[in-house]
Amino acid sequence: MGDKTDVWQGTLALMVLRTLETMGSQHGYGLARRIEQTSGDLLQLNYGTLYPALLKLEQEGFIRSSWGISENNRRAKFYELTKAGHRQLKRAAAEWEQTTNILARFLTPAEEA
Amino acid sequence: MRELKALALRIGGLFRFRRPEADFAAELESHVALHTDEGIRTGLKPAEARRQALIRLGGEEQTRQAHRERRTLPWLESLLRDFNYGLRTLAKHRSTTAIAILSIGLGIGANATIFSMVSRFVLRPAPVGDPTTLLAVHTLPQGEQCCNAFSYPLYTDLRDQAKSFSGVAADYELIPASIGGSAEPERVWGQGVTANFFSVAEIPMKLGRGFVSGEDNAPAVVLGAGLWQRHFNADPGIVGKSVTLSNHTFTVVGVAPLAFHGVEQILYTEFWVPLGNVANLVPLAPKESARDYHWAMVIARLKPGVARSQVAAELSTLALRFGKNNPATDAGNSFVFEQAGTLPPRERNAVLIFLAALSVVVLLVLSIAGANVANLLFAQAAGRQRDMAVRLALGATRARLQRQMLMESVMLGMGGGAVGLLLSLWATSALSTLRLPAPIPLDVSVAVDWRVLLFAFALSVISGLLLGLAPAWAAARPLLVNALKGEDALARPGRRITLRNLLVIAQIAMSVVLLCVTGLFLRSLQSAATIDIGFRPANLLLMSVDPRVQGFTPEQTARFLAELRQHVAALPGVVSAISTDVAPLSGGNRSDGFTIAGRPVKDSSFSYADLYMVTPGFFEALGMPRMMGRDFGGETATGPRTAVVNQAFVQRVFGGQNPIGQHVQGGSLTYEIIGVVGNAKSRTLGEESRPMLYRSLDQTIADDPSLMGYTLIVHTAGNPSAIEEAVRRQIYGLDPTMAIYNEETMEQHVRTAYILPRLAATLFGTFGFIGLVLASVGLYGVMSYAVTRRTREIGIRMALGAQPGTVERLVLRQGLILTLIAVALGWPAAWMLAKMASSFLYGIQPHDALTFALVPPLLAMIALAACYIPARRAASINPMQALRTE
Repeated sequence: MGDKTDVWQGTLALMVLRTLETMGSQHGYGLARRIEQTSGDLLQLNYGTLYPALLKLEQEGFIRSSWGISENNRRAKFYELTKAGHRQLKRAAAEWEQTTNILARFLTPAEEA
Repeated sequence: MRELKALALRIGGLFRFRRPEADFAAELESHVALHTDEGIRTGLKPAEARRQALIRLGGEEQTRQAHRERRTLPWLESLLRDFNYGLRTLAKHRSTTAIAILSIGLGIGANATIFSMVSRFVLRPAPVGDPTTLLAVHTLPQGEQCCNAFSYPLYTDLRDQAKSFSGVAADYELIPASIGGSAEPERVWGQGVTANFFSVAEIPMKLGRGFVSGEDNAPAVVLGAGLWQRHFNADPGIVGKSVTLSNHTFTVVGVAPLAFHGVEQILYTEFWVPLGNVANLVPLAPKESARDYHWAMVIARLKPGVARSQVAAELSTLALRFGKNNPATDAGNSFVFEQAGTLPPRERNAVLIFLAALSVVVLLVLSIAGANVANLLFAQAAGRQRDMAVRLALGATRARLQRQMLMESVMLGMGGGAVGLLLSLWATSALSTLRLPAPIPLDVSVAVDWRVLLFAFALSVISGLLLGLAPAWAAARPLLVNALKGEDALARPGRRITLRNLLVIAQIAMSVVLLCVTGLFLRSLQSAATIDIGFRPANLLLMSVDPRVQGFTPEQTARFLAELRQHVAALPGVVSAISTDVAPLSGGNRSDGFTIAGRPVKDSSFSYADLYMVTPGFFEALGMPRMMGRDFGGETATGPRTAVVNQAFVQRVFGGQNPIGQHVQGGSLTYEIIGVVGNAKSRTLGEESRPMLYRSLDQTIADDPSLMGYTLIVHTAGNPSAIEEAVRRQIYGLDPTMAIYNEETMEQHVRTAYILPRLAATLFGTFGFIGLVLASVGLYGVMSYAVTRRTREIGIRMALGAQPGTVERLVLRQGLILTLIAVALGWPAAWMLAKMASSFLYGIQPHDALTFALVPPLLAMIALAACYIPARRAASINPMQALRTE
């Protein structure tokens, strides 16, 4: 696994966790669409990359999955957050916020000195 | 934690394949369906909607692949797949696999066996607490090669003045004793130790404790666990009980652990008493105050953080100081030290050379086996060229194919390692049953320990990797075009020296070396068998007793032995019974420097002679020829001392002049020489004839008693072992508490003395034979491969009129050229190596002409035989068929 994917997967994982928190149980396609909508269609996901990321989160115990029926009566696999997932989301969100804050200090034009 | 859990799930994923695969397929299908539904809702045609959905997914197969890789561990998965594939390949080529595993197994078995000796004698630390900080210290007298023991005052000086050590202890190395108790009296060996010995050595006691300060003269004893189990039935309440050692009563204070037989690991001692008791247990024991009597073996515990270099510096300062204070005894002395429990410095070099020679030989065996297997694998690789080429053409990487080949050869190596370990388990247990011809208790048992396991494992992996290198290299470089056409893909046009030929040359060259060394040792055994030991081993029974340790005075001992001889001589079937101290060929004996009495001693030109105590009739009973003078007879304990010497003594001391009636002086005693007998082997078979002096047992038992006890030699008319029980009964009849030991016939005794030449010949013979068989199989393999490859060429030659005989010669010549090159390389190497073996040979030169002359033609003949079958096959090729097959 190269570094680039790691960063990407890291942020993707955060988006997935957050989306599951707000929407509750959701299937893969629904998640992908919701992430795109939330990003204001700025992100265009390659849907294929979502599934390995979901699998990783599941292996790590942050989400769990089960088969169910979708709103338009299709069989689909639904994902939902576990307790550990909720904790992980808080932690990761805090870290991310800190990172963006730090970066923001570098990127905003200096006012003093 | 979470990473670990994920990892475990992924490893688990390796073994669950179908269900998750189907599950994900269903999930993807539902994803595409959902996406398609939405496309249709936005007005697309169903087909177009599905196409769009698939595009956005980024390819169904790629997604599946990414998911699969996350589900399991891809590298581990492909390794497992290689392993499975390897198993299948190996199982398919069953005979090749069996030969390869057996060959490597023999090689690794030989190496593991020899390494178990290295591990036992060189690597194993002493069974003491923290062996790395326990040092054995020796004195090194000025101008000497090696070391000596300490005198007791020198030990106390070192103990009191050295700052590098937290404790310094000493021991008196060997005390023979008879131990009483409920069981039959038994002869055991022990050590006298300073009271701090067990705390300096940090021995974790099995029961009770070691000695404590103030116990230097206490009648206390620590038993070895072996003795405790054997003689005291592992009595858990032994501590505090009394035991009798040589008629003295001792209180047991502790039991040492089973692994501990003394700090020095080759001696086998089983009890320890405080040093003050040595005087009671050993006749003429050294006085502790004597500064010129060296007997104390010293161990010292390093203080934490003190470096070896600091120790060396301090010891040399101390040696100077001691020398200045005691110029008569200590001037010029220095100290040497090493980690306690390593090989004793005197024997170290001989042992290391022997082990090095054996290691070279077994490495040769492994190399020959390896070359053989490499050749086999190479041939197999040639047969798999098409398979490889197809895989390459389909896009497999060369690295992937190489890994596959390496995996297979490492599997072969591991299989061979397993076989080798089994072989070495058997071999080490066989070796451990051997007894060394020595009068003192030695422990030379070897076993497969963790170091040997590690060594065998590393050797398996390394040889597996090396074996696989050539085939892996070849497999990944087929000439694609040739391979796909089904032709030989490895044969580069115009290349005559192939890797296989080089391998077989190396193999034969190594077997030349091996055969020469083997030949040398077989010749050595042959010449050892014809060694004239100087006495007749048949019809003699040996049985030793040591009445002294039973509390007998010298006079009582002499009387006991005389009565015993009288009783035994009266038994039916007994020709005579005589006593001696130690039977000849027991590995070592007492010796003393002799001069002709009355002549001034010029620059201390002593002639050393081995000393034996005998009773009248000794020379008749052993069938030793009397050359001059008379036998003992009528000597009284207080009369003038007499001696019989051997011819070597006459040569050395008298320059061959008639010695009868002359007097010789040895130690403080003077003897009149009354007779001369033929030479006999005194200590070992291989020795040059040593000067020997036989003296009357009755005259010497009082002031020079034997530490080894006294051996009764019974000359029988028939089979000596038949009267063993009767003789035992006579001994117990005189004293039921007498411990009997060294009970054997003289033939058994002499056989033990043959152990070294026989052991060497057996080891080298086995290895040489294995090497030879492997090399001939290798040559056969190469030649028959060559014939197969040249089938068409030979067909054409025969079609053009070549006679079968010509073809046969063609093949034979090729094999013989390889053999000749190999012999030309191996012979000089063997010549040079033979020197190393010289000190282990009996009665032959290291460059024994017969061996070095016989090996090349012998090898050539075997090579000829190995080439003959392929040659016959070549000659019987039917030209029509050969041309049609391709």
